[in-house]
Amino acid sequence: MTEAYIGLLVLWPLVAGLACLVLRGPGVRSALVLATGAALAVGGLALASQAPFTANPGFLASETAMHIAEAAAFILPVYFLFKGLQGKHLLVILFSIAQLGLASVSAFMVPAAPAAQSAVVLDGLSLALMLVVCFAGSFICIFALPYMKHHEEHLHLKVSRQPGFFLIMLAFLGFMNGLALSNDLHLFAAFYEATTLCSFLLIGHDQTAEAKKSAYRALWMNILGGMCLHAGIILIQKQFGLADIQQIVNPALWTGASLLPIAFIAAAGCIKAAQMPFQPWLLGAMVAPTPVSALLHSSTMVKVGVFVCLRLSPVLAGTTTGKILCLVGAFTFFATSAMAMGQSNAKKILAYSTMANLGLIIACAGIGTPIAIAAGIVLMVIHAATKGLLFLCVGDMEQTIGSRDLEDLRGIIAKSPVVAFAAVAGSMAMVLPPLGMLVGKWAALEAAAASPIAMVMMTLGSALSVVCWVRFAGTLMAGKSVSAQHAHSSALTSGPILSMLAAAVGLGMAAPWLNSMLLPPALANPMAGGWGLMPPLFILAMIGWIIGMKVLRRQSAVTLATPYIGGLPSNEPGTFVGALGRNWVLSEGNPYAAEIFGEPQWTKIGGALATALLLALLGGAFI
Amino acid sequence: MNLTTFYLAIGGLILAPLIGGLVAGVDRVITARLQSRMGPPLMQPFFDVGKLMSKVIAPASHWQGMFVRWALIASLASDVLLASGADVLMCFFVQAGSACFVAMGAFNGNSPYSKIGAQRELFQMLAYEPVFLVAILCMAKASGGFDAFSFMASQQPLLFKMPLIVPGLIFVVLIKLRKSPFDIAASHHMHQEVVRGVYTDYAGRDFALLEIAHWADVTVVLWICSFLWATGPLQMLAVAFITLMIALIIDNISARLTWRTMLKRVAPITLILAIANLVWLYVE
Repeated sequence: MTEAYIGLLVLWPLVAGLACLVLRGPGVRSALVLATGAALAVGGLALASQAPFTANPGFLASETAMHIAEAAAFILPVYFLFKGLQGKHLLVILFSIAQLGLASVSAFMVPAAPAAQSAVVLDGLSLALMLVVCFAGSFICIFALPYMKHHEEHLHLKVSRQPGFFLIMLAFLGFMNGLALSNDLHLFAAFYEATTLCSFLLIGHDQTAEAKKSAYRALWMNILGGMCLHAGIILIQKQFGLADIQQIVNPALWTGASLLPIAFIAAAGCIKAAQMPFQPWLLGAMVAPTPVSALLHSSTMVKVGVFVCLRLSPVLAGTTTGKILCLVGAFTFFATSAMAMGQSNAKKILAYSTMANLGLIIACAGIGTPIAIAAGIVLMVIHAATKGLLFLCVGDMEQTIGSRDLEDLRGIIAKSPVVAFAAVAGSMAMVLPPLGMLVGKWAALEAAAASPIAMVMMTLGSALSVVCWVRFAGTLMAGKSVSAQHAHSSALTSGPILSMLAAAVGLGMAAPWLNSMLLPPALANPMAGGWGLMPPLFILAMIGWIIGMKVLRRQSAVTLATPYIGGLPSNEPGTFVGALGRNWVLSEGNPYAAEIFGEPQWTKIGGALATALLLALLGGAFI
Repeated sequence: MNLTTFYLAIGGLILAPLIGGLVAGVDRVITARLQSRMGPPLMQPFFDVGKLMSKVIAPASHWQGMFVRWALIASLASDVLLASGADVLMCFFVQAGSACFVAMGAFNGNSPYSKIGAQRELFQMLAYEPVFLVAILCMAKASGGFDAFSFMASQQPLLFKMPLIVPGLIFVVLIKLRKSPFDIAASHHMHQEVVRGVYTDYAGRDFALLEIAHWADVTVVLWICSFLWATGPLQMLAVAFITLMIALIIDNISARLTWRTMLKRVAPITLILAIANLVWLYVE
């Protein structure tokens, strides 16, 4: 039965996607997407109920599967090369040729490693990623149904391009599940490349000049990541003749051995997770339609990067490579939080904040103690729910008002209350106790006790992100009501948003137990250390919620005071008679302190420092 | 949770705002004496809050009452956490949550002064949070644990191991007590350029509750400062009192800085000192 469920998770989305392509009707498409969501939810929960386990499903363990994986190592770079030639993009051409070279080395010059004992291993980490894909991924695909309809109406397309779009979206969910579950390095690498492909196609979906440019940028950076991954795999093959991931991440294997292969694979993870200096690909990806940014670039695909690093984490504990990786992550957390501070583009704020949180998880992976790994996984799951929620909200608000600038979103709560409220709750969930993200950050901070510099960067990043998100939420709620008429929204929009909101809060509540499930039995006490504070704080938060709602209901009925403006209110709304007897117009805007948090200087200086850190990661392991 | 923790928590819940109120009273008496005035009686802050409680004034936004209550709950919770010997970092985060709610409420107001205050409040948080966190990390490193009881269990005063965090802590106290030169988000006197800044739009009972939340915050901040010499309750009180005096003196001899100076000059300097101290503790 287990194997059937694994098949459902990996293959069904692919089949449903192909069906979307063939049966082009919108009704059929909606039914297929909803069915996929249901199938993934059922399959995911069924597998979760049996975790941890190992399995050998035929379609992942057979010779044919291995051959397909090997073939993919050639076919995908060839396709990238073709695209590079078509788009005349030098870096894509160079890197895909290099990757073809690496694939040939791996296939012909290094003795083939025996296949992994069990093709599928489901432990806490892969379960976490799988559930993120099954739930966050499904919600986002459902949200995409009404969104893409509006999107295409807006673009005035003659022939709908949605069938192809949903094929890639759904197939991507299958690839991600395969990636989470597979225990063979070659299969893993094949799925990894497949996500690069999906990302390239989806970023370029709108086919505007900007979209193409961003797609190619994402492509070359991710091929570079793929090269690092393949280099690591070849070294491991050569050194140990192994392809079984579970055996490879056994710290005993690495005593006395150079950690260079691990450093290569960790670097691949950093690129996939858009750590500095590779943040431009994720930023560029924001030109894609919102479901793409939500699915690939905030809540799901970038999780591959942190998944890889967390997978390697047991090997990294206490090593120099691990310490440098911790610094790489902590530095990105700090620098991207600073860049988020200086942004008024709501989608860019989300993008930078995503990189920041991924950086925090990578820092946890670099620390590598069981407590740090558990904190990293908890952060990964809660971040997927929270950030997915925020992306969907921003996407919907953007469609409502036609702008993604935070200044234009001012006071949106009057126009589209449900979505804006969810966005405010989501931004609070990013930074406030006792909700999940803060708890994860706190656990990471205490786990980093061995590395003062990483801790300092985490404190800086933490303060920056608090300010950034409170300002974000405050701006959505500020200002006068734009119009009393509420925007129309469908159940397919608000359903996923409210489900993600429930997940973000619910997972935050469950965090102590999630954490203890991920720890080895000796440490597995949900109430140990500061975690015991969480349930009382949650009860307190609920009491606060009840009191707050009561007061809100009471105050909603009263007439508001006239604004204190240092002048006399005038007849025209938004103006007052002030100094010099003049009629002054009131306007609002956030200070972004661009002279301190400006994007260009941080990209330049931060990029240079981060490059140095990444080189140190590889160089340190080499020496 | 055993019974002692429970009593400690209840004690923290009741005493902390009272202590904060007393601090406000002492502040007003001493400031008056420094300025050669008689000043109000010690209990004046309590009378003020009592009077505010009885006033019903139209709010500036429907949301403010909610945010005020949340801020109060978070501030009191941070006191309770500290009193019951919980994790000091978590106590800090809960307290920061309270500041976030105050800012959120001010964002919702309708006066431009309130909104400017909210923005400045956020910049203040940006300035003091890192240095405060690093100071707590220093204490945690030196005392070997993150909970308040291990901070208070050290035999030697922590001060000698961390002299460089003192400027940072003073900076935090000045900001949290809304004292010059860092009363940037909310000035004490209505005739100044931001009016009451972040507090402008709060009135009546909401404002009274916010005042109590502020007292609770003051207690938390001074309490964390007093960990510097936590060999006994009297020593801790003395440290808190000395810190308060330093803040009052600075308040009376300085003029308000801009948020740019705070963020670009003062915050980095205090932070670098604190970081140096942290690294030193690790090297030692």
